[in-house]
Amino acid sequence: MAEEKKVIFYTEDIEMRFGGLYALKNINIKIYENEILGMIGPNGSGKTTFFNVITGFYKPTKGRFYFMGEDLTGKEPYEITRKGISRTYQISRLCLDLTILDNILIGTYPVQKSGYSDAIFNRKKLIKEVKKHTERAVHLLNIFNPDLIEKLFVPVRSLPHIDRRRVEICRAMIAEPKLILLDEPSAGMNADETKELMDDIEKVRKEMENVTIMIIEHDMKVISSVSERVIALNFGQVIAEGTYEEVSHNKEVIEAYLGKEVANG
Amino acid sequence: MKKESKFLDYIKIILVEIVAFFLFLFFLKIESIWIVIAAILLAILIYFLSKIYKEKFRALIELFSRYQNFAIGVLFILLIIYPFISPLIITHSTYWMLILIQTGIYIMIALGLNFQLGSTGMMNLATAAFYGIGAYTAGLLALKLGWTALLTIPLGGLAAAFAGLLLVIPIYRTKGHYLALVTLAFGFMLVLAADNIEIIGGPQGLKNIPPVNIFGYNFLTEIGSLHFYTNYYYLVLAILGITIFIFARLFNSWIGLTSAYIRDDEPAAKGCGININLRKLLVFVFGNFFMGVAGAIYAHMIGFISPPNFQFAQSLLIVAIVIIGGMDNILGVIVAAILLVVFPEKLRVVTEYRIFLYGILLVVTLILRPRGILPFGPRKYDSSILKFARKGGS
Repeated sequence: MAEEKKVIFYTEDIEMRFGGLYALKNINIKIYENEILGMIGPNGSGKTTFFNVITGFYKPTKGRFYFMGEDLTGKEPYEITRKGISRTYQISRLCLDLTILDNILIGTYPVQKSGYSDAIFNRKKLIKEVKKHTERAVHLLNIFNPDLIEKLFVPVRSLPHIDRRRVEICRAMIAEPKLILLDEPSAGMNADETKELMDDIEKVRKEMENVTIMIIEHDMKVISSVSERVIALNFGQVIAEGTYEEVSHNKEVIEAYLGKEVANG
Repeated sequence: MKKESKFLDYIKIILVEIVAFFLFLFFLKIESIWIVIAAILLAILIYFLSKIYKEKFRALIELFSRYQNFAIGVLFILLIIYPFISPLIITHSTYWMLILIQTGIYIMIALGLNFQLGSTGMMNLATAAFYGIGAYTAGLLALKLGWTALLTIPLGGLAAAFAGLLLVIPIYRTKGHYLALVTLAFGFMLVLAADNIEIIGGPQGLKNIPPVNIFGYNFLTEIGSLHFYTNYYYLVLAILGITIFIFARLFNSWIGLTSAYIRDDEPAAKGCGININLRKLLVFVFGNFFMGVAGAIYAHMIGFISPPNFQFAQSLLIVAIVIIGGMDNILGVIVAAILLVVFPEKLRVVTEYRIFLYGILLVVTLILRPRGILPFGPRKYDSSILKFARKGGS
């Protein structure tokens, strides 16, 4: 079934070495169009490193990766973002002193077209563009939490954790990317917040039908409820791949999470 | 009914501005150090009153931000009539006019630095050097080639911008505070070079730089009974007006937003598709341009420039203006420039301790208002966006 789908992203033997330490080794992953792919693995297994490599923050020491048939290896983060890959971060990376609106609008930067001269002389064009994106931002906020609309001009610093995460997700969504990477969205959240977050991810899916989502998670509940396919990493290598059921019963995965004795015993 | 209240608001704004304007004039008039100290105490009292009557104070600010354009217009008119009123009130009006022009020039440089440091987080410790490049370029072009100020002033700006370009390219590879160190060294180097190159006058500097002469109008002409400085006053006012206009528009645009993102979180900015190196380069060059323009005007006005005018202490003053005023806030920079340039003139007794005074002021501001007198507010882009958002996005 999965084989019939179109592959929009794949890697070829990605290796990331920090000195003598292999953070990633021989990673061959395919991401199919329109799926929600989960990635699990214990601490330090290379999940975030993988995201950092495919968004250009790290340059892989070996291997290549392709998005929509185009080789993006070695490209700068801003170039990769402009190709249609956007991401969120494990530790929320919002500018806390800037307003909600600013923090979402920045996400539209890859698709906006006004430059210096427009900012100074051609205000009409600029404001038209800003307005269009503001409308979109309001639309997105309305999906996640309508209360935030009134706070468009409030600094993000005053928001609770879950709302910050939502703003970050809005920022990743607003430029209508083809692939969204969510890096441990539930990090630092309590059980109720995590549940809300799971609904939010469903909402992203509903809002953007053509988007592909890849999500790194620690929380197995989130993974089991949202993802259609799961990849497990350990020590920088893929140890299992398949549906959640398959992966969660894989012996190696249980070993990686719980230790060898427990798995055997 | 609604119209009437709007009219009342206008009257309120005009009254407040006129009162502030005359208070400022009388402050310039007073000579005795004790009255100056009394005035400073009064300012402190007003600060605490604003804390106590928070609501009323906030309503006033709200009023000014709502009719921003009108308020700026009134202020502009007051500044235009200033040269005609000041001789009637102030004893040494020519001297104070020179100080005000100087303040205007400092505001221009500080706005350039604010764009670099306040908006984008690029520390530039060579503002005085870039200002000097503008001054020397304009001076040399006018002296040796006899070019008109119409050309030398923009070329002074371009020269400073170009110097910034050369300086920024090699520091792409470095991160963090290296830019500050490189600019610091650059500033010292430039003063030393100017001191030792004979063609540009060496330690004697450039003398007899011709005054601004636009379309046959010589800026040494006196306007009626007013001193010829009045010409420069209007020139600086006009160019400063344009500078503020440009930077206000840049703040309320993608440029301002992306710059703020680079300042606050560089990796996140990268992840949002911003070409950081290019943006930093443009910001640095653009900010430098205005420093150069300011230097060129100064050279033409004073007619004499020499290396000591562009020393590190001047750069420190500009940095202090931006930090005390509030990062990324144009109004804050203007207020701080007045505070740091005009007020010390009143405290002539302690002139020798000026730098010391700046230090104290910097420490006090950092304790009382760690983010500057006026930290940046929400970016509003345009009144239509604001209205749209207020209505809850419908």
